[in-house]
Amino acid sequence: MRNLQKENHRNKTAGDWCKILGWTAVPAILLIFWQYAAMELDQPWIFPSVTKVFEQLLHPLRDHYASGSLAGNTLVSLLRVIIGFVLAAVTGVSLGLLLGSFRHLRFLVEPLIEILRPLCPIAWLPFAIVIFKLRTLPQLFGFDYTKTIFDEIQLGMIFVLFMGGFFPVFTNTLDGVAGVRRNYISLARMLGAHRVQIFLYVYFPAALPMILTGLRQGIGLCWFVIIAAEMMTGASSGIGYLLIYAADQSAMDIVIAAMLIIGAIGSLLNFLTRRAMRASLHWYGKEY
Amino acid sequence: MEIQTTDPLQKSTAVEMKNVDKTFLSDTGIAIKALVNINLTVRQGEFVTIIGPTGCGKTTLLNILAGLNRADNGRVLLAEELQGTQQIAYVFQHYTLFPWRTVMQNVSFGLHMRHVPRRQRKIIVRQLLRQMGLDKFKEAYPHELSGGMRQRTAIAQALALQPKLLLMDEPFGALDDATRGELQLKLIQLQQKHGLTIIFVTHNIDEALILGDKVIIIANQPGSILAEFDIPVPQPRQQTSKEFTDCFLKIRQLLSHYSACQFTRQV
Repeated sequence: MRNLQKENHRNKTAGDWCKILGWTAVPAILLIFWQYAAMELDQPWIFPSVTKVFEQLLHPLRDHYASGSLAGNTLVSLLRVIIGFVLAAVTGVSLGLLLGSFRHLRFLVEPLIEILRPLCPIAWLPFAIVIFKLRTLPQLFGFDYTKTIFDEIQLGMIFVLFMGGFFPVFTNTLDGVAGVRRNYISLARMLGAHRVQIFLYVYFPAALPMILTGLRQGIGLCWFVIIAAEMMTGASSGIGYLLIYAADQSAMDIVIAAMLIIGAIGSLLNFLTRRAMRASLHWYGKEY
Repeated sequence: MEIQTTDPLQKSTAVEMKNVDKTFLSDTGIAIKALVNINLTVRQGEFVTIIGPTGCGKTTLLNILAGLNRADNGRVLLAEELQGTQQIAYVFQHYTLFPWRTVMQNVSFGLHMRHVPRRQRKIIVRQLLRQMGLDKFKEAYPHELSGGMRQRTAIAQALALQPKLLLMDEPFGALDDATRGELQLKLIQLQQKHGLTIIFVTHNIDEALILGDKVIIIANQPGSILAEFDIPVPQPRQQTSKEFTDCFLKIRQLLSHYSACQFTRQV
């Protein structure tokens, strides 16, 4: 058996080679083509070269037009997402668990949810700006100006992120709880579990795969939403803001650098949440 | 219908059902009679097996005894020491274990829910696992176990609360013959050791005869008791002995006669 595996290792299949090439040669060819085309065109304000973009990525702390740096703005966006998403996750999971286990409550709220859920979170932004103006998180707690990164956390942004993150988390949790096999509930009851215990030790673990799926979708959507929200009027910081501001200044190298950062963080979030899911849910899909 | 709390039962009686009816409404609104006029007495320490075709209301009968379903009519009497759900354990046919818990965590579930201290829990569970031959698998998850091991775990899980009455719904239905035989023996040992009262549902005549002190035959649609046999053969039973085969034939004949009647009636 071990020998066989070794042999497999030595003779890579066509699939293995394609995987390796997909991670190395294909991006390399694209980069070379890009560099060549940019040098031929020689109009960096329209199509900057690879080297110019990577020069920006290598100096993430450089301040651009008094709008802050790539790193600083990325941090602002991430902090907004984390705060908005955590709020959405906590509310979404607890409401989902609650409504999932009380059918009648679910019937009461479901139509409302179904109307609000398909609404694009960005559509909430003008409403949020009118309601919250430009109030920030520290102002909510009575501080006027803290001279920290938290001054960039506008309540309107948090609201929009909450709207983006809440529905995937909530609906997945709800479906997860509603889909728990009746047998597990009967079993727990026969073994003497009371209501709260059934909630904690049956509904929650049984729904956990769906809850985590919801969280994963939610954080991904939040990252989409924040970029879009920061590109709207009213924003004054964040990687999305820097991106649109740099575009106005025809600084395409910064635009593309920002795009690469946004993409990289998106895949990182996806990778991390998938790893966390796999580690905690080895049993899922193996019910018998 | 109420499960009675006063005890008009004779000393030796564990469970009594009197004129119990149960009708379900199907999704399309058709009333399906699951049980009709069930009369049943189970003595303490008795091993009762119930045979009948699939869908004859056997599971409903167990569910009523367990308090998971309610009878429409009639009375269900439980001996005083069986009052309270923890005195009754139930092993289902499917989904008998929580897939997110290890064998050990599954077995200790009931004790955990009753706030038995961790150390005491461990002692009880360890002993049960040893009895069931599961010590090597205590950290395994249900999906990593064979069918036989899962049912052992399910039985250990049910026994952890030291119940007086054990209800079992075709627990060995999905197992191969060898494993099934092994678990049947184990179950008889456990029953004798703990003085358990067991009500065991199966559709296998052999199994019913190997295990039961009393065999109850339920007819199909509507579910009603067709016959009751006392099996006077002492344990361990030889399946090839004359007494055993006599009983087998008697039940076989009864069932074939009954299904022949059913068939002609339908035609």
